Amino acid sequence: MDNTPTTVSQPVVFSTQTQYPLPSQKFMIPASWRRYQLSQLVNKALSLEKPVPFDFLVRGELLHATLSQWCSENGVGEEETLEIEYIESVMPPQKMSDFPHEDWVSSVSCQFQGYFLTASYDGQIRAFDYSTNLVSSTLAHSAPITSMCVIPTTTDDSTYTIATSSHDLTAQITQINLEMPSSSKALASLHLHTAPVSSISTDTSGTHLLTSSWDGLIGLWDTTVPASDEVPEPTPNERDRKKRRRVENAAKPKRKAPLLVLKSHTARVSKVLFPSGTEEKKAYSCGFDSTVRRWDTEHGICEHTINASEKPFLDLALTSDGNSALAVSTDRTLTLFDLRTSGLTASSATFHHPATPSCVVPCESNSYQVVTGAYDGVVRVWDVRSTKSAMATFKAWDGQQKVLDVDWKHGIVGVGGEGGLEVWKVGEEKA
Amino acid sequence: MAVPDALRKPTKRKQVDEEDASPEDLQATGSLEMLSDEEDAGDTSSDDGQIDEFPEIFDGSDSDESDFDEDEEDESQEDDEEGAESDDSLHIFPKAKIVVSEITSQPKTVYPEIEPDYDSDSSTEEDPNRVGNIPMHWYDDLPHIGYDMNGKQVLRPARGDELDKFLATVDDSSAWTSAFDKNTQTEKPLTSEELDLIRRLYTNENPDANYDPYEPMTEWFTGKGKEEIMPLSGALQPKRRWVPSKWEKQKVMKIVRAIRQSRILPSKPKATSKFEPYAIWSEPSSSHPPPLPAPKRPLPTNAESYNPPEEYLPTEEERKAWEALDPEDRERDYLPQKYSSLRLVPAYDSFVKERFHRQLDLYLAPRVQRVKLNIDPNSLIPKLPSPNSLKPFPNYKSLQFHHSKSRARCISISPDGAWVISGDESGVVSLWEITVGREVKKWKFEGKIGALAWCPRMDVSYFAVGIEGAVHFIIPPNVDPLVLSLTQSILAPTTLPPPPATPSNVKWITPPSNTWSLDTPILTINLPPSSGLPTHFCWHRRGDYLASVSTGGTQGGVWIHQLTRRHSQAPFKKIKGAVQSVLFHPLKPHFFVATQQYVRIYNLSEQKLVKTLVPGIKWISSMDVHSSGDHLIVGGYDRKLCWFDLELSEKPYKVLRYHSRAIRSLQFHPTYPLFASSSDDGSIQIFHSRVYNDLMTDPLIVPLKILRGHHVTDGLGVLQVKWCPKHPWLVSSAADGSVAVWCS
Repeated sequence: MDNTPTTVSQPVVFSTQTQYPLPSQKFMIPASWRRYQLSQLVNKALSLEKPVPFDFLVRGELLHATLSQWCSENGVGEEETLEIEYIESVMPPQKMSDFPHEDWVSSVSCQFQGYFLTASYDGQIRAFDYSTNLVSSTLAHSAPITSMCVIPTTTDDSTYTIATSSHDLTAQITQINLEMPSSSKALASLHLHTAPVSSISTDTSGTHLLTSSWDGLIGLWDTTVPASDEVPEPTPNERDRKKRRRVENAAKPKRKAPLLVLKSHTARVSKVLFPSGTEEKKAYSCGFDSTVRRWDTEHGICEHTINASEKPFLDLALTSDGNSALAVSTDRTLTLFDLRTSGLTASSATFHHPATPSCVVPCESNSYQVVTGAYDGVVRVWDVRSTKSAMATFKAWDGQQKVLDVDWKHGIVGVGGEGGLEVWKVGEEKA
Repeated sequence: MAVPDALRKPTKRKQVDEEDASPEDLQATGSLEMLSDEEDAGDTSSDDGQIDEFPEIFDGSDSDESDFDEDEEDESQEDDEEGAESDDSLHIFPKAKIVVSEITSQPKTVYPEIEPDYDSDSSTEEDPNRVGNIPMHWYDDLPHIGYDMNGKQVLRPARGDELDKFLATVDDSSAWTSAFDKNTQTEKPLTSEELDLIRRLYTNENPDANYDPYEPMTEWFTGKGKEEIMPLSGALQPKRRWVPSKWEKQKVMKIVRAIRQSRILPSKPKATSKFEPYAIWSEPSSSHPPPLPAPKRPLPTNAESYNPPEEYLPTEEERKAWEALDPEDRERDYLPQKYSSLRLVPAYDSFVKERFHRQLDLYLAPRVQRVKLNIDPNSLIPKLPSPNSLKPFPNYKSLQFHHSKSRARCISISPDGAWVISGDESGVVSLWEITVGREVKKWKFEGKIGALAWCPRMDVSYFAVGIEGAVHFIIPPNVDPLVLSLTQSILAPTTLPPPPATPSNVKWITPPSNTWSLDTPILTINLPPSSGLPTHFCWHRRGDYLASVSTGGTQGGVWIHQLTRRHSQAPFKKIKGAVQSVLFHPLKPHFFVATQQYVRIYNLSEQKLVKTLVPGIKWISSMDVHSSGDHLIVGGYDRKLCWFDLELSEKPYKVLRYHSRAIRSLQFHPTYPLFASSSDDGSIQIFHSRVYNDLMTDPLIVPLKILRGHHVTDGLGVLQVKWCPKHPWLVSSAADGSVAVWCS
């Protein structure tokens, strides 16, 4: 705090919601200071043994330039006291590896330690280890796969159960064995929808699945594999006979019927998911009818509807604390909805993108951080408290290629899209 | 005596006429002079009518004359007979008769031949007085009046006094019809022929009693069988037959010149020679402002003083430089000069020149006080709502799909708004998701893809692909089994509908069901050969009728295909002009046909023309109808976009000319109040178009956004735009092979 008398000072009050609070007193900060000096100040003031980088939010805007520049841009006089909130900084993302694919990758999962799973438009589920080797490749659907989720099981390590949804109007539960790729097999196919299935997701316990489709229906399924077909085969057609014979040669998956059908959306449902943990028997969905709905999966009714105007939602995510939902829409915004209020429009913040954001995924540990991927090939890391600009951005495949799905687990962001799969390291190295 | 005289006279005269018509002969003396003249005239007139026929003396007269010689007693009888015969036999002229000619077999008039006998000569006429044609008053004093043939005196007959004359008139009833004969100095009774002649002359009739004014016309050169087939002469038509007459022109020009020089006054002003006094000062003062005062000369400065300070005086170099310059280029038109006193100042040498220039300046330079228009430019801008208040509309390019190396001609969006098909000129049709842009399926055809259209029915799923001479129907992959079976039953029913009564040259072909696959069309309509490339499809809203427009072929290109009956028909036998686009009315059984310059609306159920719209566009490229059916937009290659209110007029309600190049495509959004137009300038323009239900409020058209992002290749820009049916999203295909999705 050795400010020379010639420099202009700005009265500042710091606040934070991190684990590093400063005493609430007024600081006189030289107006020429930047983020780095402020971060040093906080570190010194708290006398942390390991320096923690901080980012500073002035009135919801991330501080990039000096304080005086910010004040002149926003018309704040020298006498006014600024309230600056500081948050832990996100380290610049680093690219770890690149997994080129033959076709577009529609879904990515980083859930397993040591492996990346991708679902692709050619109908394949691929598994890679961290040294970019293709471990297994399973043909799950003859049509493009739109979404994939991993069903948590308690069995041995090498077999995993994966649910996929596809354009061929079905979803499928597939068991893959990473050590013996040839023993992968489809367990059950889920038959409800009359239009391509847009998303599939599982609850944390792995007992239930949710599928959403372009026909506006949401299906609730359990993950048990039935002993026999629950849905009768369609009457054999002359044309289908050949195809069917081919399928019969492989172990034919059992045809499964849904437990419940959730009907309320008036247009395509683009994403449906279970909340993480705390709320049982609930589900959240978003769709092209510009609504976000909360469902009671026990009774199959729509509990709550959030109406946004002219925002066809493409993807939905819930923050880790379960209090708010984040949805991306084709009007190039990421919208934060507060789920605790019961108002009809609970939009509390919007985050603008320069291109269509296609996917959103929250951070596991930090309920303020969220990652979006967009059609301009840029993945953005947002802090929900900073609405003006992203905390960090990085370009997958040097831009120009669409990002279709991101997954953020264990400090690793898997970016799937037109160019295949890229893996970046973003923050949270301690996890 | 009188009758033979009268009968003989004409023959005599005729003879004279024939031989030598000397004027002396014609000047006959006496009272009968007129008669003979008239007779002559009548004869000639009859001669005119009947040419070449020589007059013949009637046989009857000859006999009369011969009779006359026998005795004079018969005279009275003859007279009576003549009188009894009256008009019938009264013939001064020879009687003609009509005979059929032996040569020409035509009827002809034949006159009796003149017998050149003794009697025909007048010299043999018996006249007692042989003095000849001399003035008879020579014999007034003598007792005789002349001499007879033998030289004996012919004595003057006794003439009574006035009383005798009177008595004679009383006694003799025929006395008043007699005339005095100078030759014989006696009263001679006029014959009935002469009296009749006098009567005819008196009543202005033709003197010839035989003259028939209404005799049938003799057709010599006209009539049946005598038509002139060949021209009379082989000479060329003279130029004056078709050139306006020069003479007439000269005459007319003479008059025109006279009118111009006001020598002729067409409407002669009334000569008001009277001076009308008027009040000079009563007329109101003119509205013109008073003439501007001349600008004042600038006041003289120090340099113009007769005794300027030293620093104003030019140096030698400045003086030379000033003199070297042209008078027009000089900064000032004088050089400061110093005089020690005012007395030494000479006369101003350029006084006249300066005055002259000032006069020129005042006279030639117009001095006008310019009126500044005091209008706020913002008030000229029409009051339109802000585009931000009219959201949503597409405003950015969400994603782009690429066709490799060829123009993306046509696109179509599925009725549920999830899929896009796009076709290019190399024959590739791609199916891709509208939100992701990933190609799911690709079909390859021979030749260009001209048009694509997705069936508007929601319970079936297929689309039509137009290539050269054929229309293919294709089912997309990943369709619900129910929808698939329904689609297959529509496109390829197991029992074909009965063939139409009038066989068409359009063949509907469905491959056998065991060869069906997703890669081949399930139904193909083979248009007749040389019908060209279908460039435009339009589905009826119920999805049963598909109208196609083919261009480039030799035959007329509009076909309406009915899928349930598997029948194609050409609704128009003959169309004026090349059809550019057709449309079904969304509500009524109307059909819009856009030719190059007109849009015609037909009523399909009544088979008649309802209306013709005149957009005033030189070449129409595209059109679309509003979902209410009351409004039509028409775009042209001459950059104009016309909005028609169909209830209002045949002329456009509004003409928008915002594109800098030709308009290629336009479309109304089916649900949102939007329409878009694409152009060869590579841009797409989005308009807000709110249509009100009440007929009084005009539609509101607000330009919203210009979308740029397509490249202009080979002068072609954005070739087609289509709206996503459920969202305010736009899909555009461009000549650079890219298909872009524009989201709100």
